[in-house]
Amino acid sequence: MLSRSAQGVYWMGRYLTRAHHVSHLLELHVQALVDRSVEEIHFGWRRIYRAMKRLPPAGEEWLPEAEELALADSFTLADDLTFERSNPDSVWSSLERGRENARQMRHCISAEMWSCLNLAYLRMRDLETVDIWRTPEAFYGQTCNEIHNFVGIADATMYRGAAWRFMRLGRAIERVQLAVSLILAQTELGRRMKRRTLGWASMLRMHHASEAYSRLYGIEIRPSRVLDLLASDPLLPASVLSSVRAAAAELDAIATGPDAEADAAARRLAGRAGAMILYDWPEARDREELLRRVDRCTRDLHGTVLDAFVDYGIQDAPLR
Amino acid sequence: MLPRRAWPGECLSAPGARRTSPTRGQLLDFDSYDHDPAIFDEMFVARGAPREHCRAVHEALRSVRRQELETIQERVTRSFSQEGITFTVYGDEEAEERTIPIDCVPRLLRLAEWRELEVGLVQRISALNLFLADVYGDCRIVRDGVIPIDVVFDCPQYRPEMRGVSVPNNAWVAVCGTDIVRTHEGFMVLEDNLRVPSGVSYMIANRKAVKAGLRRLFRTCRVQEVEHYGRLLRQTLTELAPGGRPDPSLALLTPGTWNSAFYEHMFLAQEIGAELVEGQDLLVNDGFVYMRTTAGLRRVDVIYRRVDDDFLDPLVFRRDSLLGVPGLLNAFKRGHVTLANAPGTGVADDKSVYAYVPDMVRYYLAEEPLLKNVDTRLCRRPEDLEYTLDNLEHLVVKRVGESGGHGMLVGPHSTPEERDEFRESLRAAPAEYISQPTLALSRSPCLVDGRAEPRHVDLRPFVLTGAQTRIVPGALCRVALRRGSLVVNSSQGGGGKDLWVVDL
Repeated sequence: MLSRSAQGVYWMGRYLTRAHHVSHLLELHVQALVDRSVEEIHFGWRRIYRAMKRLPPAGEEWLPEAEELALADSFTLADDLTFERSNPDSVWSSLERGRENARQMRHCISAEMWSCLNLAYLRMRDLETVDIWRTPEAFYGQTCNEIHNFVGIADATMYRGAAWRFMRLGRAIERVQLAVSLILAQTELGRRMKRRTLGWASMLRMHHASEAYSRLYGIEIRPSRVLDLLASDPLLPASVLSSVRAAAAELDAIATGPDAEADAAARRLAGRAGAMILYDWPEARDREELLRRVDRCTRDLHGTVLDAFVDYGIQDAPLR
Repeated sequence: MLPRRAWPGECLSAPGARRTSPTRGQLLDFDSYDHDPAIFDEMFVARGAPREHCRAVHEALRSVRRQELETIQERVTRSFSQEGITFTVYGDEEAEERTIPIDCVPRLLRLAEWRELEVGLVQRISALNLFLADVYGDCRIVRDGVIPIDVVFDCPQYRPEMRGVSVPNNAWVAVCGTDIVRTHEGFMVLEDNLRVPSGVSYMIANRKAVKAGLRRLFRTCRVQEVEHYGRLLRQTLTELAPGGRPDPSLALLTPGTWNSAFYEHMFLAQEIGAELVEGQDLLVNDGFVYMRTTAGLRRVDVIYRRVDDDFLDPLVFRRDSLLGVPGLLNAFKRGHVTLANAPGTGVADDKSVYAYVPDMVRYYLAEEPLLKNVDTRLCRRPEDLEYTLDNLEHLVVKRVGESGGHGMLVGPHSTPEERDEFRESLRAAPAEYISQPTLALSRSPCLVDGRAEPRHVDLRPFVLTGAQTRIVPGALCRVALRRGSLVVNSSQGGGGKDLWVVDL
């Protein structure tokens, strides 16, 4: 597969996963605007912004306490996270970049995938926050569904070649980083709150883990159990461990890259990230630090994958 | 047996939906159709009298409700937008990706007429390929005085770097898009596009969209298929592999996503199973071309290049080009890679050289040209310049180096100021201009505001040459959508139509 094409589908996978993730966070959070307390609403916004490593438009301390203002500001914040072109992680920016990568790599994906994604793009292209604000959860839900559909269509129609692998590798690496960032945002902010359980139930919903948690632990929300489930449960698709394993599996399925050294390093990093969660997590005294190490490892993995398959030096590359 | 008056309404309705009588509602208005006997009409011989092979379509159009046809039109247009079938307009950031407006009423051509065209096109491309081999070889045609030496060697598209080069199967032009117009005098070639002709993807997209809307009518008319173009192109490129290498590795070289025809590049790469590469993906090592893949460097045998000569190789042509590949021309000249079309083919579609194509046919093939040229005056000749200056308001004046409808004066539609401006330019650099009579291009009915209105059309069939010449029975049919306009270029308000070659 052409290296630039591999890079394109890899980024397509990453951007669409990000668009889905932010949409899903917003879908749940705008639902909370209806009946949650101001404290909870503010906590939710702060968590999202911290997870995205971004400050709200006027800085973190800008969020007011009055309820009416909170709702008005929610509009501004939702706009910043949804349609703001200058926010590289807004839903629109991620979807647009994912679609642009798909447009450039249309010959690497199926026609059905392209149509599905292009329709989602066209639907969103002419919208503004004011257009969706009457029922924002419906808009975010539809965006999530469209990206789910895209993934499902890819599953049903895409040839299981290198393009498929690189797309899934991108999605897996992005999922690890998004999940780790969100968990760290929750734990870091949670320490400052009086209510120790604040935000943990919504963390379960954000990771599609509410039902699994209830089945495993009952209805009482305990942060440590939630953390265990989200980080280390191999059966939860959105857990950090599942995503790290998915990345390692995709990498295993891709033939050795031209830069053998970088290739081996990438495989080691994927294995190491998995081992940290699998073996170090149960006994780790500082789990936040462990998650930070997993995050660094995944970021290194991203760079190493590109070194191995895309940006390799041509001197020692095999000729075919 | 299919009903004679089968009409698309049947395929518009969802299964189980109540079907409305086609006679209810307002029908498509043909009564006010402006039939002008001075202009060849593709559908009508005279007012209200359709040509024999157009009867089924005319009958169907007359019996359909206007609203129904508009629904088809809307669906066709929407399908282009949804599938991202777009082109890019330079210097217009607001409309980076645009769809070409498509008229859902097809233009029809009898199969027998098509066959005549086809034979003429094969003859013409044969002569042009021989001409290219000659001007980069012995230059017999120049030495024998058939074409003046300055017309060839002063042409900016003549590439001295290509002298002495030979190409597989002598196919300098593997893909040609010939612009053809029709008048009461018959078909005429307006232009031979021999460098990087585009538009074939729209031919196929138009077909797909219009066929979906007019399914039964399509079958009734026994329309010839065009969708196998990709297979023929692949076959053609494979035949041009260096040294007849079996199962060659193909790549389509695109300038990138910002190129106006990027959609087409992507579409064709997919159709022919080639990698879609940019210059940065390729490198030349020891005279061979390789592309960077995730498994290392892979040799490329045939490059269907959609990058202009100037940008192909910064070591030979424009040094500031970032689109090309250093050393590519050297690899090509050594016969290690095939470039389709070969560099330097632009000399044969230069607007001045165009005037000599009929002479080329006679010279190389000893045959009379089957396809006519438009009478062309070369302003480099004093008598032609004088004639052009005296008759500006009746002529079309074209700058030889321009394309896409730019650098052109359509005399009858011009203002006195525009003519004065052109007069000055002509006097300053006469060799850069040609003039032709303003042709009454044929017209074809289009759906405009719920009515059938005539619009001028042209035709661009795509001619493929490998070990043999192949043409799919269809063409990009361009329409000047503005009333009275003769400019069909998409960048200047032109649109498209599906061309049906019908076996009726």
